[in-house]
Amino acid sequence: MKHYDCKYYLSTDVFKGICKRDKKFINADDDACENYMNAQKCKYCSNFTLTSDELGTCMNKYEAYPEMNAVTCNDFKN
Amino acid sequence: MENNHKSSEVLPDNYNYYGTRPQGGFQDREVKKPPSIRAEKARTMYLETKSSASVEFPYWYTRRWEELEGEIPIIRRAEALKSGFAHLTPAVLPGELLAMRKANYLRGSYPMPWLSEAFFLSKEDDLYKEAQKAGKASADEATTMGQGGGNVTESSGNVISIAGKFGLRKEEMPILIKTAKRWLNRSVDDVGHKYEQLVPGYDTKEEIMRAVICMFDSGYTLPQGREVINYYYPLQYGIEGIKKICRENQANVAGFPEMDRLYFYKGVHTMLEGLQTWILNYSKEAHLMASLENDQVQKSEYLEIADRLERLSESRPDTFHDALQLVWIFHVAVLNEDAISGLSPGRLGQVLYPYWKQDMNKGILTREKTIELLECMRVKFTEIDCFASMGVVGGVLSGNTFNNLCIGGLDKEGNSAANELEMLILESAISCDTPQPTLSLLFDEKLPEEFLLKGVECTKIGTGYPAWVNNRVAMEFLLNNFRKEGMQSEEARAWAIGGCLETSPGSWMPLELNGETYFIPGGSAPATSVGVHFISLPKVLEAVLFDGLDKRTGRRVYPPHGVELDTYEKIWTIFKHYFSLTVEVLTLTNNIQHDIWGKVSPSLINSMLKPDCLATGKDISHKGSRYNRTFNVEICGGVNLANSLSSLKKNVFDEKTMTLDVLRTAIESNFGYLSALDTGAYSLTDQVKSADYKAWLRIHKLCLDAPKYGNDDKYADDIFREWQLWFSKMCENYKSLYDEPLYSCQISVSTHAPMGAVTLATPDGRLCGTTFADGSVSAYPGSDKNGPYALFNSATCYNHALSQNSQLNMKIHPSVVMGREGSRKFLEMIKAYLRKGAFHAQFNIVDSRMLRDAQKNPADYRGLMVRVAGFTQYWVELGKQIQDEVIARTEYEQLG
Ligand code: SF4
Repeated sequence: MKHYDCKYYLSTDVFKGICKRDKKFINADDDACENYMNAQKCKYCSNFTLTSDELGTCMNKYEAYPEMNAVTCNDFKN
Repeated sequence: MENNHKSSEVLPDNYNYYGTRPQGGFQDREVKKPPSIRAEKARTMYLETKSSASVEFPYWYTRRWEELEGEIPIIRRAEALKSGFAHLTPAVLPGELLAMRKANYLRGSYPMPWLSEAFFLSKEDDLYKEAQKAGKASADEATTMGQGGGNVTESSGNVISIAGKFGLRKEEMPILIKTAKRWLNRSVDDVGHKYEQLVPGYDTKEEIMRAVICMFDSGYTLPQGREVINYYYPLQYGIEGIKKICRENQANVAGFPEMDRLYFYKGVHTMLEGLQTWILNYSKEAHLMASLENDQVQKSEYLEIADRLERLSESRPDTFHDALQLVWIFHVAVLNEDAISGLSPGRLGQVLYPYWKQDMNKGILTREKTIELLECMRVKFTEIDCFASMGVVGGVLSGNTFNNLCIGGLDKEGNSAANELEMLILESAISCDTPQPTLSLLFDEKLPEEFLLKGVECTKIGTGYPAWVNNRVAMEFLLNNFRKEGMQSEEARAWAIGGCLETSPGSWMPLELNGETYFIPGGSAPATSVGVHFISLPKVLEAVLFDGLDKRTGRRVYPPHGVELDTYEKIWTIFKHYFSLTVEVLTLTNNIQHDIWGKVSPSLINSMLKPDCLATGKDISHKGSRYNRTFNVEICGGVNLANSLSSLKKNVFDEKTMTLDVLRTAIESNFGYLSALDTGAYSLTDQVKSADYKAWLRIHKLCLDAPKYGNDDKYADDIFREWQLWFSKMCENYKSLYDEPLYSCQISVSTHAPMGAVTLATPDGRLCGTTFADGSVSAYPGSDKNGPYALFNSATCYNHALSQNSQLNMKIHPSVVMGREGSRKFLEMIKAYLRKGAFHAQFNIVDSRMLRDAQKNPADYRGLMVRVAGFTQYWVELGKQIQDEVIARTEYEQLG
């Protein structure tokens, strides 16, 4: 598990960001800490079906990708 | 055989200096003031952040667009924008006083495939290969991108570099390709391309682009920008108030002729719903950040942000802080609508003054708090990136986005418009020096001396702002061009600079605040610099000398003229012919691109803001703005053209010191030097001789010694004036999409680098591949020998009001303007130039030796900024072509 996938990760650029809990700078691809929680991403949504490593579908209808942030998606379902 | 001898045999030791070459260690700029702790932290974070692209906005935009197949384009566009905004991931950072940004990343931006889908595709992709075949790819090849700072120049780990600037997470690339492919044959670029091919002479246009005689197309690259935004409607009505206007107008026009008005109002309403969700998502995020925060001060700041955003998602502001936040929201909203450079906040200090004054009178705001807010605003503007191809983002923009804030000028009644808030804007620009927003001081004799001296104090910090711009010249230009659309003197005073230096029309709108009415200025025209984007004049002259060929590639660009060039007049005549041919075909093809843009991807957000779109129900592509004569012809390399014509006239025809054939061969032999493209050095002084340089020494010296513009030399200045008068007149022979004549525009931005890179040596002695003179009236580096006042006389040898702008860059050693005495001398010099009828001057107050050191040790100079041509940029984010040119500019060691 990486910071990049964590709910508390606030990215400032494609390489790094800030932990929303302690405000420290962290690298996106470094290992997460014990407070890790899954970010709201398409890959954790029950509407999402993975079709290849980096692509999938949403509700079997739309192209989608697993890493997409979904905090703003009203249809996100765990 | 190559040797290491530089150009010293033809150039004197003090070539790039006026006055005595400085000795000893290099001198830093005069003392600076530190910013607030908060702004310093924000700026430090910015400096450590890389330009980053994301896919979420284009993904959601495209997904919604596809769902609405068959819907009216403007409604489709509105729904797509609504979806894009509503799905942007919010990010609120610790210490922020102003929230919201373009995308989730701090320097975030994203591709806009609805404009053009091909250039950002991975190199393996077939689409990319197709894009490379087109002439427009040539500008990318001629461009060098800055190698430091926030540019992601190489792919590494999970990050892919796009256009040498933007980082994209590797896992987002497949969906980006998929999303881009959805726009194949549907983007503005593709649809426009289909129809522009119907223009007679289209093949010539392709060759013009391939030769980089023209830098880039207009309609799908940066269809908006180089204009002044207008914040009036959100400030006066709030978002719910504007929605109400839309609903009322919808009811009034539904079923009546000119039905497009109905769809426009519906579209604006829909788009605003998306903006409201976007703002509320940020409010929710601020609440989340507050819930995770233990520090009580920071927690309350997050909660204030949350409350402020919730209020502003519906209502008009009534405090300075709220007004500034709302202004920022709409600025970013417009930037997210299309790829845009040069969306200027305009006279922001005058727009916000009513709020500031009332807050100060109520005792709820202090000067210190104001400065802190303004410093934070500076960092926010500096965060703005524009996602575009390397040719555009590097070759034209140098990574800059030209958000120009103007101060001074006149108010509606014709009195000085400078105010106390503008003094604080200057103060915050001194304490928190950042590239954005750049400042322009609209000089008028009515401005108070104290204000002007504050401007000088700011210019002296060395970042190149404020630029000094002549209010009266701009008003004359505007009245000449917009009187037909009803402009009177009173409204001409509302102007400001859009983009780096584009004179843009404005209007006064009545803002009501707590029972008082204030007339605030704002932009009232769409992009004022679209149409023909940058014609390389030296490259056109090269084609004249070589019978229509691009001599670098051997390709035919223009029909052969077949004329024996045995008089100077024949050269000048053929030049005018080729130049006219270029303007004609580019005007027609770009008109089509802009027409397609307006049809398939019209502006909703910017249209809504611009008077009188909301009143008339017409968007900016349908002449909804108050002023619409906004297409222009931009050129680059005018001074090299004049110097080259001067050399031709003098050497070949007047004094017959060489034949034209000999000169042609000398040009092809690069006067015995290696090409700058081989040596990687782009200024004249750093060129390396080849084995046979002696064979060309005499010829080269004669070319260098021919009369040069910038010395108050009648011979060269007459040629320059003849070009200027002809150019400004000939533009009027061509009509824009809106059936209005074009006008001339003379800024180089960064195009003098890539355009120089593809141009052979020129008859003025400039060598192959080296950068042209910047701006439009700056002397070629090192060629101005007679001091600043001689340069001013040359620059004002024609009426600057004939053109949208003129641009003069000067480099002055810091010791020359030291102290209060230095400031006064400096101000007198600026005034002397502007009083001669000049439009603009800007200054690098810097020791060139420091720039050389910065080139060698970039890590020591992350915060160093220089003025390029109408904009200020971090040194380390400039390409070497531009760095070399800035170093080479004549350094003035004295002002007299
Ligand atoms: S419903 Fe939303 S979160 Fe779930 S897969 Fe679709 S887009 Fe992603």
